[in-house]
Amino acid sequence: MAGTKVQSEVPKTRQRPIVRLGVLLISHSLLVSVLCCTAGVLALLLLPVLAKNTYISENALMPGSASSMLSNQEVSEANKLIKDITSLYSKPSTAAIESRRLIAQYMSNLGAEVNYHKFHPQPNEFHPLHFFSSPDAGMIQENFSCASYGVNTVGVIRAPRGDGKEAIVLMTPYNSVNGDLQEALPLGIAYSVFSLLTQVTWLAKDIIWLVADSQYGEYAAVAAWLRDYHTPVFSDLSSLNTELCHDSSYILDLKENSNLERKISYEFRRSGTMAAALVLKVAYRNEVEDTLSIFAEASNGQMPNLDLINIVNYLAVHRQGYRVKVEKVWSLLNSKWLKILGEIFESLGKFVKSLNPDWKFGIPVAEYIEGTATLASSLYYQAIGVPTGPHGAFRDYQVDAITLEISPRVSFNNKDRRNDFLLQGGRLIEGVIRSVNNLLEKFHQSFFLYLLTSPSKFVSVGVYMIAFALLVAPLPVVAASLYAETHNLIPTSEKEKSAADDELGSVIRSWKWLNSAKRVFIVHLWGAMVSLFPYFISQIPNCTPTTNFHVWFLLSVFSLVILKWILGSPFSQLCGLQPQEEWAILKSVTISSFFIGLCLMSVINFATAEIGALLMVPTSLMAHPLKLDVRGGRFLRFSRAICNLVLGVISFPPATFFILKGMFEGYSGINAGDFWNWVESLWAWNSATYLYIGMVHLPCWILCVHVLLHPC
Amino acid sequence: MYGSLGSRSPVMVMFLLLCTSIAFSASAETTLHTNNWAVLVCTSRFWFNYRHMANTLSLYRTVKRLGIPDERIILMLADDMACNARNKYPAQVFNNENHRLNLYGDNVEVDYRGYEVTVENFFRVLTGRHETAVPRSKRLLSDEGSHILLYMTGHGGDEFLKFQDSEELQSHDLADAVKQMKEKRRFKELLIMVDTCQAATLFSQLHSPGVLAIGSSKKGENSYSHHLDSDVGVSVVDRFTYYTLAFFEKLNMYDNASLSSLFTSYNPNLLMSTAYYRTDLYQRNLEEVPVTNFFGSVMETIHTDYAYKILSKKTSEKVKIKMPSEEPVDHNERRSLQNSNVQDQTSDTKTEAQQCPFTSTWNSFNKKMEKIENIDSLVSYGLLIMLPLLLISTWLSR
Repeated sequence: MAGTKVQSEVPKTRQRPIVRLGVLLISHSLLVSVLCCTAGVLALLLLPVLAKNTYISENALMPGSASSMLSNQEVSEANKLIKDITSLYSKPSTAAIESRRLIAQYMSNLGAEVNYHKFHPQPNEFHPLHFFSSPDAGMIQENFSCASYGVNTVGVIRAPRGDGKEAIVLMTPYNSVNGDLQEALPLGIAYSVFSLLTQVTWLAKDIIWLVADSQYGEYAAVAAWLRDYHTPVFSDLSSLNTELCHDSSYILDLKENSNLERKISYEFRRSGTMAAALVLKVAYRNEVEDTLSIFAEASNGQMPNLDLINIVNYLAVHRQGYRVKVEKVWSLLNSKWLKILGEIFESLGKFVKSLNPDWKFGIPVAEYIEGTATLASSLYYQAIGVPTGPHGAFRDYQVDAITLEISPRVSFNNKDRRNDFLLQGGRLIEGVIRSVNNLLEKFHQSFFLYLLTSPSKFVSVGVYMIAFALLVAPLPVVAASLYAETHNLIPTSEKEKSAADDELGSVIRSWKWLNSAKRVFIVHLWGAMVSLFPYFISQIPNCTPTTNFHVWFLLSVFSLVILKWILGSPFSQLCGLQPQEEWAILKSVTISSFFIGLCLMSVINFATAEIGALLMVPTSLMAHPLKLDVRGGRFLRFSRAICNLVLGVISFPPATFFILKGMFEGYSGINAGDFWNWVESLWAWNSATYLYIGMVHLPCWILCVHVLLHPC
Repeated sequence: MYGSLGSRSPVMVMFLLLCTSIAFSASAETTLHTNNWAVLVCTSRFWFNYRHMANTLSLYRTVKRLGIPDERIILMLADDMACNARNKYPAQVFNNENHRLNLYGDNVEVDYRGYEVTVENFFRVLTGRHETAVPRSKRLLSDEGSHILLYMTGHGGDEFLKFQDSEELQSHDLADAVKQMKEKRRFKELLIMVDTCQAATLFSQLHSPGVLAIGSSKKGENSYSHHLDSDVGVSVVDRFTYYTLAFFEKLNMYDNASLSSLFTSYNPNLLMSTAYYRTDLYQRNLEEVPVTNFFGSVMETIHTDYAYKILSKKTSEKVKIKMPSEEPVDHNERRSLQNSNVQDQTSDTKTEAQQCPFTSTWNSFNKKMEKIENIDSLVSYGLLIMLPLLLISTWLSR
């Protein structure tokens, strides 16, 4: 007897360490989840402290090693162009065509190949089937009206000794309809650089200057040009255009005009693959110093290679004396709690330094607050997955691109000041182009996955993953612990019956999670339906966003009720599950599915997953039937119920949206339509965040609410 | 039986090795310096490594100016910077921002260019194992009287030098190649000059006598570029090479600057690294060796009364001795005899003080041997010598 006892114990003690560790974690799931969640949030707040200085990783770039060649001669030519263009504004009727012709002529005079690119703007429509699909030429040719079209002007400089297989794109958006001086200045900068580059001998890549017609939006113009660039049509394009629309009278007019303008054609000019693209803009924002703002986020949180930002930052700061800025959340700069946190980190850093002077930890408070504000904005813009400028269109074709917005110190009316401004901006662009020109391969050395905490500091994927991993780690542990608890619950409660247990019963019991899984699946199905509704709602004509939002909301609730009514759960009665274990299993399956959803999303768009985890992980972990908590009457349980209610409200997507919007922009001008508009922008840009909200976040929230309201 | 044989054989091998090593060292020391070769290698590609090509081309120009003819320079350039589209001055290469000197003029003969510069081809050049189709101009046709300058520049690390961004030359590979060269008597003296990061580590495996090595930096040190040409947009020359060239610019073919004056001219503060040279394999005193012995084509000339004297003596002596080659020991003996004969006739021109005592006793022994006219008595003498040898070896093996 003793021998058999020993034998039966031996296999237990010989369990593999990893299994034992897993069992240990599961048995202490509460402690694990509290620890991991706090650590996750803390790690996120620590990111500005852990940020590293950027460095130029690619040897070939060598920014700033060559002295600038741009001189006052090019600048005075550019000034002439600006003057000519601004003089056209006096006659608004012909300004569009005339300015286009003027730019083309200037380009052509420099010896560049020039062509017009005609495009039809695409309406922002919801294409549920086109998520993640690359834009192709076929889908847009169907419904456009001949009346509205834009014309891009494209100039190409061929590298004199290059192989013509690579190109660098310089893009300036230009609204030819209602232009002003501010619109013309980027043209001036680009022209001065372009005229220099026609003369130099060191070009290894072709230079394309795209003057994008931005009357239908900057993005649309660039996207259309890129689409045509990458999908060559092997037929006469100009004849195709005239076939479709017979309004090309002025094209013929152009062609007949003079010998020079005959060179300017509608034939699409191409070069090689694009190494990098720079979008140049000028804004006047009453800055104290000459400021350069960098916008980098493309669709679905994709970022250009960090090296591109590095060279721009390096040249702007060390060569041209700009102050470089990236977006930040301004309201965070004055927040008290952030200041306190920063002080804690600073004093902690000092303490660490007193222990060992070699350890470098902690940054000054001001720097911490700036870093956090920048990080928050970086996280937000990556999370919503909407490009922050026309550079986003390039990223869809794996071209690294950023938008540079220059805002000068003083107004442009002073002529000397304008010359300096053009020279400074032109030299920056020239330096960046020369540096990229040195590149031998695509940008690949530096990071693609990073968050910026300042223009010269970044957090790489290896660091920011930790915060996310810590946040999601308790999910599988809690799910397993809940499942194990209900499993152990049965033998104790049904001990008398189970003596004569038939096999069928045990089989059914071991598959009891299937019922909960079915329910979770139905809710996810409902989530998919909810995310499809806007497609139909947007078909309704003449609707304000507010009514749209209300229709959407009602439809969602209605469909949920119908689904519950049709596919209600007769199964649970059949299983003979007790309500007490039913909610636990439901919560376990919910958490597992949410875990899977989050992990998938972190691959597609990390920032979305991070913010989603921050909102939803505590809610899903805390979820506990309110009835049980209230019935207990103890203070701890009661406070848990309160917490659950608060979290339940916060993590509902529209509620989250309104709370955040109110916090950062004030509660005064909020209406229900804002949420609709925000969501509309998400699907219009094919953002994966939209899918995440509809198919992961919302179902999980519904299930959590279901657990909260469970009739125990 | 077998055991005794096995234990005996190491002794024989040792004996054999002793004989051959004596023979080699004797020949290397005593052969005249008759010609000069230079192998100049730039191992790195890409536009941002412009300076490596400029380094190599500057050295090419210098050795040519100091008298090594083009046909005796093997120039290996891994990339063509002159015709790179990024070059602001097409078909020109400069090693200074003043642009006074175009290194890529009319008479530059590049033997291996672009992707031809591989570790394999580098070894083929050194060891002379070419495919039959390789023209003579691409071969290092040196002999036992050659002084070779081997200059390499590129990106290196601890005991390696990167070739073409895809492969590496390791220090033991280099040592092996040099050893093969030595065995094939492809050089008399070899100067290896390396300008890379951690250049000194590349010499650590060298063991062949007659090799002198100098590198731009010690282990753990980087070698830096000298200055940036902001017109071309790249660094144009490395520090070590820059100061080497500065040293040679002051010289012409007839100057007697010694190698030691070159080696001590490197200032670690200017170099930002420590130039390291290894002399333990090199027999001559550095102060007595003019730099033009390697970087130019200046060699000792010997006045002889009769132009073909040495040659005729050589042939007459070779015919004289014929030995039975049945026993392996005997065979070795004969080789050493022949070698020492050759050495004997050349030693007239050299001082005898340089030879080790063992060789000098051999010489006296040989002189006695020469006096013996009768072949039969020579054979019996030989057998007589064998007897004590056999006795000693059996006694040792017991």
